[in-house]
Amino acid sequence: MEEYDLFPGCVIPNRLPYLEDSARKVFDKLGVKTFDAPFNCCPDPVGFNAVHHKSWMVLSARNLTIAENDNRSIASLCNGCTQTLKAVNVELKQSEEERASINAVLAKIGREFKGTISVKHFVQILIEDVGIEKIKEAITTPFTGLKVACHTGCHYARPSHIMQWDDPMEPKCLRELVEATGATAVDYDEEVLCCGAGVGNTEEEPAMQILKQKFDSAIQAGAKCFVVICPACYQQMDNSQRNLKKLFEKEYNIPILYLTELLALAMGYKYDDLNLKLHRARPQTLLERYNAV
Amino acid sequence: MAVIDFEFRNSIIQKDLGNTLAYCYQCGTCSGACPVAQVTNGRYNPRKLILNSLLGLKDNLLLGTENNFNIWGCTVCDTCDEMCPQNVELTEIFTLLKNMSVKKGEAPDYYTTQAKFILEHGKAIPLAPAIERRRDQMGLPKAPKVDKKEVRALLKETGLEKIIGPIEEEKKEGEK
Repeated sequence: MEEYDLFPGCVIPNRLPYLEDSARKVFDKLGVKTFDAPFNCCPDPVGFNAVHHKSWMVLSARNLTIAENDNRSIASLCNGCTQTLKAVNVELKQSEEERASINAVLAKIGREFKGTISVKHFVQILIEDVGIEKIKEAITTPFTGLKVACHTGCHYARPSHIMQWDDPMEPKCLRELVEATGATAVDYDEEVLCCGAGVGNTEEEPAMQILKQKFDSAIQAGAKCFVVICPACYQQMDNSQRNLKKLFEKEYNIPILYLTELLALAMGYKYDDLNLKLHRARPQTLLERYNAV
Repeated sequence: MAVIDFEFRNSIIQKDLGNTLAYCYQCGTCSGACPVAQVTNGRYNPRKLILNSLLGLKDNLLLGTENNFNIWGCTVCDTCDEMCPQNVELTEIFTLLKNMSVKKGEAPDYYTTQAKFILEHGKAIPLAPAIERRRDQMGLPKAPKVDKKEVRALLKETGLEKIIGPIEEEKKEGEK
């Protein structure tokens, strides 16, 4: 199996290390080998690119040169990092003009973008390198009957001409991976709706209205939890349930699980092994029903 | 009345990021698909941003810090790009508008604050001692150190500091 440089990003290792832990556990079980590398911020496609596009490209390109020097492609644990690294990688591979302009800056620190590696979201690696069948074989604690709302988040497969992976408006891979654990991925109207984190950087209320729309739609479809694959979505959805209560006087207590947490649980790890008590909407009661506590 | 500014229009349309602008025929699919437009009563309207960009109506776009939601209401979900029948890359055009807004000092604080963190630490979120202890408890490997000198050198070359202002640490050194 191909080996990767692991790109955990900023949010996961430096704020939500339990998500990184779950990803490493799942990779170990499935034989995905990764190496750590001294990457800088990806940088954030929502924040930093909006501040200064060229600086965003240059810092992203520096990350790509680190992986190029290791002669390994990048395995990203985060949608935002995946989009930034992939967008810049594609742009610099396609445009000689852009490449020359970015390489002129990188030359100041003795680096050069060569265009020799690729960037993958961990979902892509689970689907392509490991495969659904092998994942199914690793399941020891099935989640039969658990109704899950899948939320891929925006930067996983959009814009499609850059990401070239899964369906940008009807994503399928996350559903397949969730269902490999025995759980059921429910159909809900707002499956591709944004979590609202982006607009939340500017104003809280529209972000909460969008999130409420998403939650209501999933709950109405019978979902007992969300499964996500992006730490920005995870934070927005797990941290904001108290705000939703304040704004809309409605109690939400719906667990938000990272895909790697669900997979680790299904492979036999328990609530405490994965430090799931660190979630704000605690999944304890839900997981007790599946012998996962 | 807003004044037509052809140079402004050209500063979008002649850039790689903005060269799909001319293909817009104002069908409004973007605004219909935009999740923020649905909940903000016309305060955020991507179709209008594109129209004003096309016409070169700069004064309708850069409205000052108090009224910056017209540009910064974008949640960067990339839905409009996906739905546009003309393949206008709206989010890329909005990146140009946001870069201009930052330059004028009109962006929400969140954005410039994050950029300063990246300039100073090489990461949007530096590793706090409490999280470092938690990582150790979990048996996670030490997070690899970022070469801040390299990051600084690159951002000096791109001129970021001139746009967002110096980071606090250097300000203090300057005061001494």
